[in-house]
Amino acid sequence: MNRYGWIGLGIATVLLAIVPKYGYPFVEEGREPRPRPLVCLDCHRQRNIETNEGVAAANAFCTDCHAHADKSLRLAGTARIQLNVPADLFTNDPHRFIACVRCHTDVARSPHLSLIGSQCRSCHPVHGERQAHDPHLRVDCQACHFASSFIVLDRDLNRVRLSRFNDQAQPVSLSDHRVAATKDFSFCRKCHFSGNAVGAPGSVLPAKSFVCLACHPASLSLGHWMFVPALLIFGLGVFSMVSFWFKGSVREEQLSLHDKVASGSDHIWQTVFSRRVWDKARIFLLDVALQRRILQESVKRWSIHSLIYYAFLCRLILSLFALIVYNIVPGSSLALALIDKNHWMVSFIYDFLGLCILLGIIFAAVQRYVIRPPHVLSAEQDNIALIIIGLLVLSGFVLEGARIWITQTPFDPAAFAFLGYGISRLLLFLPAAWQDAYGSLWYIHAGVWAVFIAYLPFGKLKHMFTTPLSLMLGSSEKKQEAVH
Amino acid sequence: MQANGVRYQRFSVLHRILHFIVMLGFTVLAATGLTLAFSGNFAARAFASVLGGAAALAGWHKWFAVITYSCVIVHGLWFIYYKSVLKGKLTGPHSIAPSRRDVGEFAHHLRFVIGRSKTPPRFERFTYLEKIDYWAVFVGMNTMGLTGLLLWFPEFFSSFLPGFFVNIARILHFFEALLAIVIKFIIHGGMAHFRPSVYPGDSTIFSGKTTEAKMKAEHPLEWERLKGSEAPAAGEKP
Repeated sequence: MNRYGWIGLGIATVLLAIVPKYGYPFVEEGREPRPRPLVCLDCHRQRNIETNEGVAAANAFCTDCHAHADKSLRLAGTARIQLNVPADLFTNDPHRFIACVRCHTDVARSPHLSLIGSQCRSCHPVHGERQAHDPHLRVDCQACHFASSFIVLDRDLNRVRLSRFNDQAQPVSLSDHRVAATKDFSFCRKCHFSGNAVGAPGSVLPAKSFVCLACHPASLSLGHWMFVPALLIFGLGVFSMVSFWFKGSVREEQLSLHDKVASGSDHIWQTVFSRRVWDKARIFLLDVALQRRILQESVKRWSIHSLIYYAFLCRLILSLFALIVYNIVPGSSLALALIDKNHWMVSFIYDFLGLCILLGIIFAAVQRYVIRPPHVLSAEQDNIALIIIGLLVLSGFVLEGARIWITQTPFDPAAFAFLGYGISRLLLFLPAAWQDAYGSLWYIHAGVWAVFIAYLPFGKLKHMFTTPLSLMLGSSEKKQEAVH
Repeated sequence: MQANGVRYQRFSVLHRILHFIVMLGFTVLAATGLTLAFSGNFAARAFASVLGGAAALAGWHKWFAVITYSCVIVHGLWFIYYKSVLKGKLTGPHSIAPSRRDVGEFAHHLRFVIGRSKTPPRFERFTYLEKIDYWAVFVGMNTMGLTGLLLWFPEFFSSFLPGFFVNIARILHFFEALLAIVIKFIIHGGMAHFRPSVYPGDSTIFSGKTTEAKMKAEHPLEWERLKGSEAPAAGEKP
């Protein structure tokens, strides 16, 4: 160390000795700070509830009254109800580090009352199809998640919420913060029983399966076990179909399966990375997407086919779009609209597309069985396909009508589902226990769809895979012939 | 590339697809990973803001890690298929497994480069450099996958491993990543695509095919072997 080093060290030592003595406030040992009078801002100030200290301070302010039974009585009419929230209720609660005012957003004011209740949705997104089995968008979170068993349908707001009265019409407190056990579905029975007054179906139904995505916004779950055999049969059918394609010889040469797959995949690869891919794209656009070949055959046939094909396609695209949007931004208004059966846009579009399929089926049936032009050969397979799709759409519309009827959805928005709403009015004249029948209707609709899936690779319906495939593969053969 | 003449298949469609996905996936992993590692850098901040912030970058990184590692799994499944269905051999002249002749070829190549040998070594199906390229990715993807998994689910792994394993995983993941980026983008890219004979790029891995002239020049022993057996090469490598 040189001279400057020693001088620097000396200055640092002196500073270190002096600064703590004079630079910082010095607290004398053994003297209590004098209590000072309370000022307004001690209580009435915005705590920083992003910190644990802020949460504790904010909650201390609430529990000053609400932790004591004698300090938290409220008059409801003539009866007294208790708004007591014991502190030990939150010992093991996931919300124990959350400030009360985080959920009760409008209580920290004068007069001290809440108009909107606790706001779960400021942190939690709504459930999708998978957890709630049906988005339950008009049901308050508390109706399911709180332990109280008194639930009511608020007709003015068209919402299902916790009731402020018990079954003896006595006011009850809603301050019980215990949450219901939601591990199994027994808590669903609070509403889903025969003869309930909140407009719930009498049975707890499974979630829509991923196979329902063909027509409905659904989750990526299996839903009901009935789709397992349906998918197994579907898989077997596809396997036998594909293995049939790989049977036989290629240009009189006996090749092994490995060589067939290798040469076939190489052929596809060479096509994709060449100019021929534009021919394929043209074929796909004109013959697969726009159905040019059917139009060239007959305008009537094209119209009937398009009513069914495009309606199914649009519903599939819409459901996939809903799935993607919901999974990326579950809280957005677009996602909420897309998964909401009662949203005017969704209910109108789905009803309109369903009607298109139904009209297509009716026209096809009339063409086949009433007009019977000589070129239309009605095979057994065609009848089965028509019956399955017809049953599917019909049961869907009856199911929708029954849903609108039992949930007592008001004219606006229910009337946007124009066909379903009409059916729901017709159900007025068919006095039956629709609440109980809804479950059976649901299983009929889902069962028809399971049959559809299982039948797909065997009958007429397999053309939705084979026709585009042969169109795409066939064009290249033709092109090669032309070159030769 | 000349269309006339005999063309030899060097890579099957599966291997072309796997190479393509790994190429894309590795590039995205490198870009997002480097951005996260050097997050203070100006360019990293610009790139992160384009892709939606650090959380989004981490999301991209994880998704592309899953996609890239799934190629390793598919490759493993193909290996089982090769062994059990095609009854392929692991060793032999066509194999990518390292062997003693690679050491000899390396020494021979060095002698050729410094002018002590008149001719380059006569390579078989895979040169020692190609073997290094392959095994660097194969080993690297597994170690990166393992350490990455540890960093993705630290709570789960630290329930039975000591906590400092997470720190070790972090360090290994970072340095192995730098090593892999150098090897793949500079050494592999340079060796495969910037050699004077193929510059500006070798299309063999994308088309799967190579010409007879290139076979004679680059893999003369394999060419002679195939000439002898007469059948065109089936794209097989373990």
